[in-house]
Amino acid sequence: MKKKCFIGLMIISVALIGLVTVAPLSAAKTVKVGFVYIMSGPFSAYGQFAKQGAELAVDEINSKGGINGHKVEAYFEDSTGKPDVAIRAIRKLVFQEKVDMLIGLDSSGVAKTVVPSIPQMKTPLIITHAATPDVTGSVCNRYVFRISVNLAQNVKAGALLASETDAKTWTTIGPDYAFGHQSWEYFEKYLKQIKPDTAFLPRSEVAFPPFKTTDFSPYINKVMQSKADGVLVSLWGGNLIDFVRQGKDMGFFDGQRQILMTLGAATEVLTALGDKMPEGLWVGTRYWFLANDSAMNKNFVKAYKDRYGAYPSYNAHGAYAALYTYKAAAEKSGSINKEKIIDALEGLTVEIPIGTITIRPQDHQALTDATWGKTFADPNYPIRILKPIKIFKSTEVTPPVDKTGCKM
Amino acid sequence: MQVERWQHERAFDFARRKAAGKVKPPALQMAADPGPGRGSGPIYDLRLKVAVESFIINLLNGLSWGMLLFLISVGLTIRIIWGPGYHVVDPPAILSGVFSIFNQTYPVYRVFLVVAGPLIGLALWSFFQLTRWGKIIRAAAVDREMAEGIGIRVPILFTAVFALGTWLAAIGGALAAPHQSLAPSMGERIIIESFIVVVSGGMGSFPGAFVGALALGLFESFGTVFLGSAQMAVPYILLATVLLIRPHGFFGREL
Amino acid sequence: MRTDKPISTIIFSLAALAFLSASPFVLPVYWTLILTEILIMGLFAMSFNLLLGYTGLLSFGQAGFFGVGAYATALLISRGGNSLFLCLLISLSSGAAAAGVIGYFCVRRDEIYFAMITLAFGMMLFTVAHSWIKLTGGSDGLPLMSIPSVRMFGIEFSLFNPTNMFLFVLSVTSACILFLWRLVRSPFGLMLTAIRENKQRLSFVGAGVQNLRLAAFVIAGALAGVAGGLFSLFNSMATPDFMHWGFSARPVLMTILGGSNIFFGPMLGAAVFFGLEQVITNITENWMIFLGLILTPVVIFFPRGILGTLVHYLFKKKKIKP
Repeated sequence: MKKKCFIGLMIISVALIGLVTVAPLSAAKTVKVGFVYIMSGPFSAYGQFAKQGAELAVDEINSKGGINGHKVEAYFEDSTGKPDVAIRAIRKLVFQEKVDMLIGLDSSGVAKTVVPSIPQMKTPLIITHAATPDVTGSVCNRYVFRISVNLAQNVKAGALLASETDAKTWTTIGPDYAFGHQSWEYFEKYLKQIKPDTAFLPRSEVAFPPFKTTDFSPYINKVMQSKADGVLVSLWGGNLIDFVRQGKDMGFFDGQRQILMTLGAATEVLTALGDKMPEGLWVGTRYWFLANDSAMNKNFVKAYKDRYGAYPSYNAHGAYAALYTYKAAAEKSGSINKEKIIDALEGLTVEIPIGTITIRPQDHQALTDATWGKTFADPNYPIRILKPIKIFKSTEVTPPVDKTGCKM
Repeated sequence: MQVERWQHERAFDFARRKAAGKVKPPALQMAADPGPGRGSGPIYDLRLKVAVESFIINLLNGLSWGMLLFLISVGLTIRIIWGPGYHVVDPPAILSGVFSIFNQTYPVYRVFLVVAGPLIGLALWSFFQLTRWGKIIRAAAVDREMAEGIGIRVPILFTAVFALGTWLAAIGGALAAPHQSLAPSMGERIIIESFIVVVSGGMGSFPGAFVGALALGLFESFGTVFLGSAQMAVPYILLATVLLIRPHGFFGREL
Repeated sequence: MRTDKPISTIIFSLAALAFLSASPFVLPVYWTLILTEILIMGLFAMSFNLLLGYTGLLSFGQAGFFGVGAYATALLISRGGNSLFLCLLISLSSGAAAAGVIGYFCVRRDEIYFAMITLAFGMMLFTVAHSWIKLTGGSDGLPLMSIPSVRMFGIEFSLFNPTNMFLFVLSVTSACILFLWRLVRSPFGLMLTAIRENKQRLSFVGAGVQNLRLAAFVIAGALAGVAGGLFSLFNSMATPDFMHWGFSARPVLMTILGGSNIFFGPMLGAAVFFGLEQVITNITENWMIFLGLILTPVVIFFPRGILGTLVHYLFKKKKIKP
């Protein structure tokens, strides 16, 4: 019996090996880029929109001759929002597809846990969404870059806005993981610096609903019953959609409290909410399609709208911009060798639809502006837009390198 | 029969879990939803679309394999038609808006849920207790061979019950829709909660399921307020406690 | 009783081991990684099968012990631990300890109730991992900043290298499997099978059924802990998802696929599971649906699992009882 077992196992293994070593050899050298985003589950809209932005960029770049003359090929993998799935996806991209560059990561939690393993892969990663300061801070390393607005920058802008309101006591409602906790931590820190007499509710009185929550009413109640007259909302995606709908029903937005939503202007959210998004709320985003008049932005928005029938979300912009950043780095260094690209990315200044950014060499964080705005109903647009828009210059909001905790 | 169906379910569960968009796990007992802080009952609703769906399911008589494929294709179809993102549904006009009670505003829709749930539960219970068909089904559950001996076509009957269960699950989903945003994965969370409700309440018992759902809803809501981060464990603590003290649940009979 | 020919068993085991040891040198790196994962999950599934196939207990909470082992290793390393041996030891003992405490409550119940209560406790462990942020990093998990290396013959082998990692995992897994092999063939193992067959009779004869089950539970938990420790080393992280009941479903699936009544069934099931995943994800994103599609006929038509059915048919022809 054992004989048959082992022979059977061997046959299967040989068959598998055969399957596997028949790997296709590519003829012309193409530049391969691997994208890792949340493609399934409740937050899949983010990954899907990123994919759209990426594919638009790939087609545009290829039609103009590719990167350094090579055609670009994009591979998409699903992180499902879990760190162990993300690391498998990244391994697959690096070892099987043999990508030259990695772009992605939506979840701050995933990024924080995965980033320490990236140096093993010897492949650079440009982060376009995950905002935890740690990836360009406490766990920063040579291979990881971020071109999008990070939590520290976005929240600093929020704190500046908060200091201009009359709210005296602040509380928060955010997702119960790195992103929610750190948003609150940084908000407290920055607002205290600007307006020292502000009060903040203690940890036990603020609301951190778990990521999977669909019924926010107990948390909404908790916040409404508390003494706070200002609320920092760091919920995002499906959480934010549910929260706004339920909060609206419960009277959360009745004007008795000042509300700041750090990611309220994500088009994924605005589209799903439509008219249900209250007007006059200060909301932040990583990119707003109407905020920049540059030719590049106008072309991007038009091309995206023509191709996909919707306005580009910040995740779409992130993937699109990352690809153009990679192109710029490749042109600067004259090669697509991974180490040379890393050297080229450090200190690189490149124009992307949001504006011109410079990647700081000491922590690999892009110096980019933070965009906030007040929600406004405009009959020309199917979703709430931002009016007025307030842009915070990167110099106002980006923490200095020695405050980030990054030691490379 | 419950045991058999449960074991039957195990095999399908995995595939169904992924396929279940609006279709939630069929359980003869009611699908639970955590209460909105003031306690709520199980939730149900009626929708024409759902009725049509159940009719189609009925047609796949006796072919559990076919049923599985159907469920899977429903899941895939949902993804294809509506895309993987979120959608938002409004309650019908008469049920939206809020009203005030004791200085607290309260959405009308939730009150509707609190009322509708027990009503449907009552309807279900009376169906099984009082009508002829209900008695036939119970008879077949208690002693399948005898029922077959009398001439009841048990396989078809059970398939019909399975269909009824699926229909109820879909109703639950339809009711939940205005309350939560829709996404293809919305079935995943409710699976484990329905499971816990069924077990705590006792398999084979409607009043049990009602009590179980209430208990779960109340514990979860109060847990959110008082227990902070430990609140996630509450359903499981409830499950473990019930299993250790009284394994057949509040109202269940010894299997 | 089985009539083994010990020599042929040893020869074939050594041959298989040699074959596997050579594979990372010929396979592409990516498949070495997959094989490593198969070995780890296969060990996990085999520890699970000690409970299902041999003792007749379906546990839906094994992931809890797997996760405990994973976090134990992660915590040890984050506090500066540098010895692989210590990592494995702590994964094993923490898995065993957790299983001991939880098992005490679980073995009192049978069948479905056992499954559900193990699920409940597994999820309670999950909640601890998820919510005790100071200790476990919360839902983001704990990254392993460094991995201790293997020091042998005076040379240091870094486990960042996929080949080295694979060989390390292979040796640990083989040792555990050898242990399991001896265990199920010992009198203790036979008693476990007796529990599965006819529990009442066994207790009439005087064997302490609860204690036996608890012992089996603890051993399964210990091995699951080891698998968890290996997994956290492999992935350089420990996340609460390792303890979720969805993760517990994996060894169940692998065992069903492979066959619970054959010793190596779960390992084969793991190989099939990952092999299928790789093949199908090249075609579509929704591979889980196909898994369900494949699993359902397996459960209905091949209740003995793939390997089990294979063995059964092979023996039907030869009329030898396995």
